[in-house]
This record gives sequence, structure tokens and C-alpha cells, in this order.
Amino acid sequence: MVAVVEDLNARLRGFESLRERAAGEPEWLQRRRRPALERFFALGIPTVKNEEYKYTNLSALPQVEFFDAPPAADTSAAAYRGLGGFTLRFDSGRLAAADGEVPQGVSVRSIAERLRNDPDGLESLLGACAAFEDHALAARNTACFEDGAVIEVAPGAVVEEPIHLVFAAASAVSNARVLIAAGRNSQVRVIESYIGAGKYWTNAVTEVYAGENAVVEHYRAQLESVEAFHTGCFQAVQERASKVSTFSLSFGAAVARNDINTRLNGEGCECALDGLYAVKGGQHVDHHTAIDHVMPHCNSHQLYKGVLDGSATGVFNGKIFVRRNAQKTDAIQNNKNLLLSDKADINTKPQLEIDANDVRCTHGATIGQLDAAALFYMQSRGIDVERARNLLTYAFAADALERIRLEPLRTHFENLLLRTFADKTEDRQGVTEWRP
Amino acid sequence: MLEIKDLHVSIEGRAILKGIDLSVGEGEVHAVMGPNGSGKSTLASVLAGREGYEVTSGAVTYKGRDLLETAPEIRAREGVFMAFQYPVEIPGVTNMYFLREALNAVRKHRGEEELSAGEFLKVVREKIGPLQMDRSMLKRAVNEGFSGGEKKRNEIFQMSILEPALAILDETDSGLDIDALKIVAAGVNGLRSANRSFVVVTHYQRLLNYIVPDYVHVLADGRIVKSGGKSLALELEEKGYGWTEETAANPQPVGV
Repeated sequence: MVAVVEDLNARLRGFESLRERAAGEPEWLQRRRRPALERFFALGIPTVKNEEYKYTNLSALPQVEFFDAPPAADTSAAAYRGLGGFTLRFDSGRLAAADGEVPQGVSVRSIAERLRNDPDGLESLLGACAAFEDHALAARNTACFEDGAVIEVAPGAVVEEPIHLVFAAASAVSNARVLIAAGRNSQVRVIESYIGAGKYWTNAVTEVYAGENAVVEHYRAQLESVEAFHTGCFQAVQERASKVSTFSLSFGAAVARNDINTRLNGEGCECALDGLYAVKGGQHVDHHTAIDHVMPHCNSHQLYKGVLDGSATGVFNGKIFVRRNAQKTDAIQNNKNLLLSDKADINTKPQLEIDANDVRCTHGATIGQLDAAALFYMQSRGIDVERARNLLTYAFAADALERIRLEPLRTHFENLLLRTFADKTEDRQGVTEWRP
Repeated sequence: MLEIKDLHVSIEGRAILKGIDLSVGEGEVHAVMGPNGSGKSTLASVLAGREGYEVTSGAVTYKGRDLLETAPEIRAREGVFMAFQYPVEIPGVTNMYFLREALNAVRKHRGEEELSAGEFLKVVREKIGPLQMDRSMLKRAVNEGFSGGEKKRNEIFQMSILEPALAILDETDSGLDIDALKIVAAGVNGLRSANRSFVVVTHYQRLLNYIVPDYVHVLADGRIVKSGGKSLALELEEKGYGWTEETAANPQPVGV
């Protein structure tokens, strides 16, 4: 019991500055933050006793808050530039730099700046999608975030140039916050990149509100330091005939946990949740998805592929809820894993709850190793076994990247993949090195 | 070129090849025929270096070197090629990319310059004609979704690109209709030369009407029970495999 009290006191120290900062914020936000903090303390950082975190151990997180600030991330690296469009860089969740021109039809601003100068219109959006009742980490972010990006797309605006948000870790804990609000008939593309060096914790929340007939294309490149903790929550709410896609690339972090949720609130919605994770050594990666089919005639599509080497561990848990009213739902879920080592481990679990009777829901999960017959076939043509392994691994993983419609980003991800698995494959035909 | 001496091979402790002797000279075409279970495919697999086969005794030399001690990829680079009975599908790797990788591995081994994508394309254009292959097959993943005939043609196409010194065709005719068989055979015949040898493993005599061998060997229960010229194949066709067993020097009951 003493230990618990001490732990609580220790944790509270990290939040002393919150009260002070909140004083300058609009009252509606203060009213939102307080219950979030209370909720976080009530729930605490999830332990493995929590069914949703059974295989993902976050017990080191309370300590990580007191670590020294990590060394500055190298934001000049090619990986964070060169996609065109407009880039905002955040250091530990606070706006640090802007680059490029804001495309027509969209407003991209710092949340802190927007709150300071014209908070009107934000009340109905900020914190509206990201529920934290049952989500301690989203609650913590809601209580603590200082800044972040707010992207508002005007009704009818089609924004082709991507908006790139780079989150670099510069302190022990970063609360990254993103709000995307796409107006009626609008279209927008947003990329989030997470980078850093050393040991730290990024706790990110992205809220997406897709208005009627809006199209939101969202990409997330989690390239944190391999010593870091990354917890990310993506939460979308979709109105009638809207389309949301989110791709999660997860290569970094010692422990990564991604919660990806969308609520299909109107008829005729579509959502595509896809991802690729590639981990090795002692890394751990966890994707928890949840799609809530509330209304009829909605489609959802999921493809998550994973490559696990060394003694890496992974989790995929895909929930699909089909409510009573959600007739003609068409939901497809797939999770495919490639284990490159005997010590690598994956726990994959589909979870379907279907209350409607005229629906099509399919799910599949595979765990496999490299095909020995294919390896021998390649060897028999003169290709050495290591190279053959790399090629087959690349081929398995690259298939997931087909889901990315933003061509330069797909190429960039392919290059990251090549660097991860095959040094020599960089001369691969059709893949040009992406340089800023 | 290839010398096989008293080769004994087991799979999981079960003897499959029970003393094979075979000598293949430069530029020769040898047909190895035999009923199912006689050990034909085992022989082809051992020569290519497939895992799971235990050589219990005997020796195989290729160009005077111990072939069995050589890794499969090195055998390939040294000029040994096996056309698979069941070519393997490799999703996600295009035929074109796969072939360039293979050819460059072979070229590098020979101390030749690796080919760029453009240079490789020229080689491909030159070689693809006789096999009547659809160009789209090059852009598709290796063997994925190919018909049986397309897979076999792709094997011969790979052979024509890699230009081996010793080609082992493992039941290349199985599952082919007569038109496809003619195309495949024409592809093989086009590659025959004074310094390239072939071991053609087949169940049926039919193939040998199109790829005319210099020598025919009949395999039964892990041994070569009869060897002769091309007329032996016709004799076999007429009298059936039962005949060879009766006339074999040391008749052994065939059967599992």
C-alpha cells in the first residue's frame, strides 16, 4: 500500500505545472482536462492484468517520466523531408518549425497558437472524437498536451499536397496531439512521423473528424528510437459517405502500442485501416484496432502485415462491432505475420461482435516462416541464401505498402524497408533513393 | 562433364537410390526414364542440391569437382541448372527482377560485369521469342498464377538466360499438352550445343520424340537397369516398364 501511495505521489510531481498552464486556457478546455486527469489517475497506466494489455508491458512507463531529456533527434535526415507539401515540426509536442506553403483550402495551425488567438470553433472539435473513459493513455494526453497540430479543411476543398507533421522527442515525455477536421466534400492527406534518439516516451493522440462525403488519407510513420516507448491513439468519427484510411508503419520503439479506432456514424462510409510492422532484437509492437459499424451500408477493410525477427514480439487485436442497425456491412480483416526467427513471437486475435443479420464479415490471420521451397528455388538459380531470404522478406512486407496511394511516401517506406532487411537490394529496379 | 559413381541416397532413412552409375560427356543428351517411385526425381534433386536427401555412399563429380560438397547456389553459378518438375511460386518478386538477380549472380561468379536493368532487357528480348511467352509474364511475380504450361516455359526461358553447361530437366513434359510440349522441346533443342549437356528425366517416351537423346537409361527401384541408344525408349514404349525389370541383370521387385 505504501508503495502505491509513493508511486502516486511520484506521478503527481509530473503534473504540477498543469494547473498553472491551464489557467490561461479557455474555460471549456479546462473543463475537459480536469476529468481527463482524474480519469488517468483512476485507471492508471495499464498493466498486463488488463485484458487489452495482456501481452504489452508498459510497467516501465511511470519511471520514464523522470529520465533525462533525450539527445536531440536528427531532423535533417532524409526521412523527414522531401515529401513536398507543408511540414510542421514539433519538438516534444511543441511547435518548433514550419516549412513550405500551406496548401489552398486548408488551415494548419499550432493548437497552442489557435487557443491563444482565436479559440472559437475548437470547442466542438478538440477532444470530441478521442474518448478517454476507458483509455488511460488518451486521458493522460488530453490532460497534458501543450500543443500539437490542428488541421481544418474547408468544405469542398480538395487538398492534394500532403501535410506532414514531424514529432521529434526532445524531453522524457512527449504528448503529441493532432486534430484533423475535414469539412463536407473535402479531401486531405496527412502524414505523421515520429522520431527521436535515446530513451523517452511519446504518448500521441490523433483525432479525425470526417464530415459528410469527406476523404481523409492518414499515414503514420513510427520511427522512434529503439529504446523509446511509443503509445499512439488514433480515433476517427465518420459521417455519411465519408472515407478514412490510416496506414501505420511501425519500425521503431522498444515498446510500441497503437490503438486505431473508427466509428462509422453515417450510411455509406468506408474505412481502410492498414499497417506494416517490422521489428527485431527485443522490440515489441502492438496494434489494437476497433471499427464500430453503427450504420448500414458501410465497408471496412484491414490489412496488417508484420515481420518479426530476433526475439521480437508482436500483438494484433482487431475488433469489429456491427450494431443491430448496421445491415449490409462489409468488413474484411486480415493480419499476416512472418517470423524470421524461432524466438520471435506474435499474438493475433480477431474479435467480431455482430448484432445485425445481413452482413459480410471475414477475418483471417496467418503466421508463417519463409517458404523453404522458394528459398531453394532461388538458390538453384544462383542467388545466395541470405539474399534470397532478404528478397522474400521484402516481397512479403512490400505487399502491405501497396495500400499507400501517396506515391512518394510509398517509395520512401520501401526504402526504409530495404534498409531494414536488405542492404544489397537498394539497387532494386524502380526504387530510387529518396533524397530531400 | 558429370560423373556419378555408385550413388546411394536415402530419404528419412529409406533407401531411394541404390547405386547409380552414370557418365555424361560434353554435349551429350541423356534421358533417364522410369516408372513412378523409381528414383528419377530424387536423382535430379540430389544433383541440384535440394535439402532432405542423405547421400549414404558414392560420389558425384562435375567438371572434375565434388558436386555434392558444393552449395546449391554455387552449383548454379558453376553452370548446373535444374528445370523443376513443380516450379515454385514467389509472390511479390517479379520474374524480371528474379532473373536479373540470378543472371548477375552467375556473371559475378564468372568475373563478368553485372548487367543494368536496360542491358538485361536486351538479353530478355533476344531470348523470349522462341518460347512464345507473353511479355506480361515478365512483370508478374515468379510463377504466380501461371498455368502449368507457362511455368514449364518459364523454366526453359530461365535456362536460356542462364546458359548452363549442364541442364537437368525434371519431368519437364508432365502436364503439357502437345502444343506446349513442342514449344518447350524447341526451346531445349535451340540450346543444344557441343559444350552443353542435358539430363532429361521423364516418365513418358513422348518427350523423346521431340528432344532426341543420345543415350537412354532406365531406372527401376533406385538402379539403372538398362542403358542404350535412343531406340531403347521406343522399345520401352512398346513393351512397358515391366519388361525392363524382367530383363534386368539383377531383377528386383518394384514396389513400395
